[in-house]
Amino acid sequence: MWLLAVLDHRSDFGDPARADADRRTVRRMASGDDGALADLYDRHARMLFSLALRIVREPSEAEDVLQEVFSQAWRQADRFDNARGTVVGWLVTVTRSRALDRLRRKRSRPEAPHGDQVATEMVDPSASIDLQLVTTEQAERVRVALAALPDDQRVPLELAYYEGLSQSEIAATLTVPLGTIKTRMRQALRRLRDALAGEAV
Amino acid sequence: MSDLFDHDALRALIPLHAAGVLSGSERTAVESHLAACAECAAEHRAHRPLAAALSQAVPQVDPPAALRESILAAARRDRSTARATPRPVSFAPWLAAAAMLLVSVGLGLYVRMLHERIQGLEGELREAIALVNDSQQRVAVAVRAAVDAQAPLAVLTAPDVRQINLAGQKVAPAASARAFWSRSRGVVFTAANLPALPTGRVYQLWFIAGKTPVSAGLLTAPDARGGMTTTLATPTDLPSPDALAVSIEPEGGVLQPTGDIYLVGAAH
Repeated sequence: MWLLAVLDHRSDFGDPARADADRRTVRRMASGDDGALADLYDRHARMLFSLALRIVREPSEAEDVLQEVFSQAWRQADRFDNARGTVVGWLVTVTRSRALDRLRRKRSRPEAPHGDQVATEMVDPSASIDLQLVTTEQAERVRVALAALPDDQRVPLELAYYEGLSQSEIAATLTVPLGTIKTRMRQALRRLRDALAGEAV
Repeated sequence: MSDLFDHDALRALIPLHAAGVLSGSERTAVESHLAACAECAAEHRAHRPLAAALSQAVPQVDPPAALRESILAAARRDRSTARATPRPVSFAPWLAAAAMLLVSVGLGLYVRMLHERIQGLEGELREAIALVNDSQQRVAVAVRAAVDAQAPLAVLTAPDVRQINLAGQKVAPAASARAFWSRSRGVVFTAANLPALPTGRVYQLWFIAGKTPVSAGLLTAPDARGGMTTTLATPTDLPSPDALAVSIEPEGGVLQPTGDIYLVGAAH
């Protein structure tokens, strides 16, 4: 039916074959098959570990993050909601979220009284839950493009994505007006998007 | 809150939201705008791969070999304990809502309803009104006819359409569904991986406002692969739901849920 085709398309852009394999794996996990957990680990651990390491910077902490992520995936496999996103989107989201939590705990320790206020201002990684992986080539192009950005564009974006700072925190940290930060982040994202699409940056 | 942001201002924030770097009131404002504006929703989808690209555009490092075994060992230890234990119902509001549904299935009520079913639909409705004493419930059981072929499109393009995702419950962990609800135009309900129905049973959709489940109608039987889409007219005085749920019920539907809950989703 046309309607279902439309709805499927909404959630399955990207690589549906890979997303389907992940979904089947999670279903096996839900039935208690730890071999399926091993499969999921083998497929995604390197990418997730790299992301966690970039955020927490300590290999032992990145290992802890992965422990938590796969343990949560194992316990909640029976509750995985197809309709809401992809398995890898879930994994990336939880990994980034756990890693940022650790960073925030470390950061907020000195000024604990502000802890609550900071938490509400933090970026919310759950926005990425329906992501599909890009190809290795695309990721490499984006990495190169990110490194090639002028510092005034690259630094705000990195502070937001890999350090979890809100835009007003970034503005305060860099002593640049908030509006300028927004403009620069948009410029940075536009360049990365061009790089993703394969255009010269 | 969204008064602070007009369409153009929100549209400018879309790349930032898609990349997962927006916070606070801006994030909330973009999210509520996306639900209402098809143009911005399309723009947002086009920016989606940025979030993946940022998470992958970091130096790739292999995790230590011992981590794999340590994670698998923890899972094996966990299997015999945590997985066998029922989850606490207070985990999330919609789980609490599901629990409410189950609790509300008092035996006395069930017996009364079986009795009423013999009396036919009219008596059933009268008794329902007496039982629940809630005018919202008057609409409860009406078995709504499937509407014409244009209806799903009308719902999906309604200015007030809301999407509610439902997750499979213990009896059907692989099932999932999405509801698109517009107060003015009805609900389009589409599900996947629903178990086949035994003879004489039907799936019934419930809108749960507070603690009160109100029937939104009966769903068409799933196909061989467990998929189905049903469009239902909903009464315009339906309370704004906190959650949606699907239960299995005797053919013809019931006034209040009695069977296993197959799908639940929070409406917020």
